[in-house]
Amino acid sequence: MSLHPTILSLPVAIPLLFGALGMLIQSLPLARRLQIQQTLVGIAIGANLVVAVILLVSALTGGPVAYQMGLWVPPFGITVYLDAMTGIMLTMVGLLSVLIYPFALATIDAERARLGFFPMMLFLLMGANGAFITGDLFNLYVFYEVLLMASFVLLTIGGTPSQINGGIRYVVLNLMGSMMLLLGAGIAYGTLGTLNMAHIAVRMADAPYPVQAMIGGLLLIAFGAKAALFPVFFWLPSSYHTPHPAVTALFSGVLTKVGMYSMFRVFPLFFPWLLNSWQPLLMTIAGLTMVIGVLGAFAQPTIRRLLSFHIISQIGYMLMGLAVAMTPNPYGIGFGLALAILFLVHNQIVKTALLLGGGAVELEMGTGKLNELGGLVKLRPVQATIFFIAAFALAGFPPTSGFIGKLGLLEVTFSSGQWVIAGVSVFVSLLTTMSMIRLWQYIFWGKPHRQPLTPRRQAHSNQALMTTAPVVILVVLSLLIGVVAQPMLDVAQTAANQAIDRAAYVKAVNPELTEQDLRIAPPDLHLSNTPHPAQVAGR
Amino acid sequence: MTAFMLALLVGVLFACGAYLILQRGQIKLVLGLSLLTHAVNLALFGTGTLTRGAPPIVSEETESLGAAILFTSYADPLPQALILTAIVISFGVTAFIVALVFRRDALTGSDLLPGELAAVINTSDPFAEFSLRMKLPDAADDYDILQYELDEVYDHPESEAEVAHE
Repeated sequence: MSLHPTILSLPVAIPLLFGALGMLIQSLPLARRLQIQQTLVGIAIGANLVVAVILLVSALTGGPVAYQMGLWVPPFGITVYLDAMTGIMLTMVGLLSVLIYPFALATIDAERARLGFFPMMLFLLMGANGAFITGDLFNLYVFYEVLLMASFVLLTIGGTPSQINGGIRYVVLNLMGSMMLLLGAGIAYGTLGTLNMAHIAVRMADAPYPVQAMIGGLLLIAFGAKAALFPVFFWLPSSYHTPHPAVTALFSGVLTKVGMYSMFRVFPLFFPWLLNSWQPLLMTIAGLTMVIGVLGAFAQPTIRRLLSFHIISQIGYMLMGLAVAMTPNPYGIGFGLALAILFLVHNQIVKTALLLGGGAVELEMGTGKLNELGGLVKLRPVQATIFFIAAFALAGFPPTSGFIGKLGLLEVTFSSGQWVIAGVSVFVSLLTTMSMIRLWQYIFWGKPHRQPLTPRRQAHSNQALMTTAPVVILVVLSLLIGVVAQPMLDVAQTAANQAIDRAAYVKAVNPELTEQDLRIAPPDLHLSNTPHPAQVAGR
Repeated sequence: MTAFMLALLVGVLFACGAYLILQRGQIKLVLGLSLLTHAVNLALFGTGTLTRGAPPIVSEETESLGAAILFTSYADPLPQALILTAIVISFGVTAFIVALVFRRDALTGSDLLPGELAAVINTSDPFAEFSLRMKLPDAADDYDILQYELDEVYDHPESEAEVAHE
């Protein structure tokens, strides 16, 4: 499929246009304004999803595409770049926003809607899409700020004391992460003389190691802070339980995953050799992230606090996949990244399902405290079943997507010789299972401690549908990925192969570069497609 | 020499910003963050070659931009553009934080950071010795506002009883 490359600007343009329109009509009378805003947001996220799917299909079939905004000569203008990994992320975030929208529509209170909740959703989407699609390091920083600014507002909208409290922590710690990103971009410009990511990739091979380590370290801290990796995750558990449940679900599907995506993008492109030489460091971070996340979850007394610690824990698995992406193993270079992408998609689906399901319980019962809930399985059998499947998908039981993701990650980590981290990940899976059983038991099992705030009447059936249907769809998706695993794995493999193909990235951005300029792998990196000895032996 | 002074200044700003952020009190937090943003902006400024009295214009005789940067006196305009963007962004974020701090101040009547207020009134906590010397904020009478802080920090069911006892 060949498309005019200007379509690459649509994932940013659509949410920006509709969001701005939604904010412009702030002077209209309330009821009318809300109606228009909700329609605008509905159209925008629908259109965004359609565009994202088109882009994904075109990237899968036609390979990576780059476009220079304003048709500037490559390193000078702003580049946007699309490959299968970008397409997957755009589609997933588009899909999640489409599914969270009805939930928000049904449950958001009048005060939050009045303050502009719905347009802000679009700005969050715009920032995420921009961060996915940009091919310029400084532009990435700007989109991160757009994303963060929108998330600040979504987090604190409503202004309850706990939201303000969580908001301050969130804003301060995220701002410091952004500063590290800005500093990394500045140092990249100062040492390499460019901010274009393809151009950086070309020049990084000749840069001395201290420069590489400096930029790599700063980007690791910056993206790690966004993705909630081990030493810099504290903003997440102290803020995610405070906003409206729809916001928490949206954040869990978008924010940390954008940070992880940026790592997937930047490390294999700029310095794939660092993934090997820094492997012990990355593995340590991944292991500690997993263990501390899941242990933290055990101590949590409310649904959403518990689930936010699990977000952190699961991020560790993705970093584990990235860390073995460049290690030779029987499945080929890049298989670790493919599984990390698959696991990321699985995590977006399941985590959002859990947070939406848990959020619905919290809204319905008026509390998220585990020791005050119980016995909901009789009142809400459908919700209980879906939540059960989603919880065990998170723990990694077959036939869900979690099983495929975890099995693959385990396999590739073992065969790369990293058996310590593989053991840790198995142990963490066990703890996750225990934690999920505990969660499900507290909410749905036992005797009911209290009655729902609003008894389910005929008038509320529509609302119940709008809060339950998205979770059902997400759980079905998770089961589908688990059952039809091979096609999904093929898509992830294509995405990973495109992501680690640095020459293709550079070529797509600047076709005028000669073969000599593309000599971008340093001599000590043996990145060939020749099979690993173990692979040959296996045949 | 100029570059060394700039590096020193960036380092001092980073140190001061980090020190202020680690202090109690929200105004210090805001000030510390402002210092940190200044430090990053100055570091960005230093990434362009520091040239004095040269326009950001490449003369026609110069063969390429790279040659211009290396061999002629030429000021790189890009870092300034980056800094300008970063300043605008940090201005927006700082304004947002100030608004948040103001809201918190209105809610609790205290300059203390989240969690610290709870430390002040909960004598069973590790900061107890320090908290004895601190004056309780006026709003400490307002039990409902403080309860959520106790929930936030300790998640102790018994903290409610303790506060009520005091």
